[in-house]
Amino acid sequence: MKCDDLAQRLAEKHDGVLGESDCAAIEKHLEECPSCGDLHRDLEDLARLCRESARPQMPADVRRRIEELLHRR
Amino acid sequence: MSGVPAEEPRELLARALATHGDRLYAFALRMTRDPDLAADAVQEAFATALRKIDDFRGESDIMTWLHRIVYSKAVDLIRQRGKETPLPEDEEGGRGPDDERLERLPAWARPPDEILWGDQTRRALEAAVQQLTPLQRAVFTLREVDGASTEEVASILGLEPGTVRVHLHRARLRLRALLGEHFKGLPTP
Repeated sequence: MKCDDLAQRLAEKHDGVLGESDCAAIEKHLEECPSCGDLHRDLEDLARLCRESARPQMPADVRRRIEELLHRR
Repeated sequence: MSGVPAEEPRELLARALATHGDRLYAFALRMTRDPDLAADAVQEAFATALRKIDDFRGESDIMTWLHRIVYSKAVDLIRQRGKETPLPEDEEGGRGPDDERLERLPAWARPPDEILWGDQTRRALEAAVQQLTPLQRAVFTLREVDGASTEEVASILGLEPGTVRVHLHRARLRLRALLGEHFKGLPTP
């Protein structure tokens, strides 16, 4: 596997569209290539930051306006 | 013939609002960067959904359909109100000219964990997300923050799954680079 292919293949691996041999090739490359290992670690941490970020709630007045819209005849 | 005759359209949409309203609003807010525009986008989306409920044939999930409308409204609003200088969307698949440079950037100079996972980094991430193109922002928010599947994101945005992965990959690389710049000025462990 080439470094150029790695990041895109990681996305495919995450989506579960790769077979076992492709997944094994990715893991092997990550173990052997420090640069791609760094990239992978940063992207994993980025994903964790996103998963743990707070989701803003819809303000009550906005929700009320939409409810009124849906109940208007 | 409508595909949703079993439930009255207003009840269907009211249930979607109750269950998924926060998720739709959060998506609109990330897209528009403005609470007033986000409120307008969601409100207009529900008005449009009510008007065009016959177009919803139950072939996709109601949330997918509502996200699609919110996305369209949000993009219209930010363009109409000059909230955003249009950025060129790289719609093409395959590797872009900037991909290689971004992939070769050095690893983050990591700050201590309390900073890495703290509020300062989250604010930096929010600011960085706003520097993505609208399409990258939509793909990234739906996939990474909302946890939608690639197929759901593709359906919402009218893209092929492979194209979603390309945009997601570019969004991740840009965010990694922007956060890397942010971390440079911080202490290391």
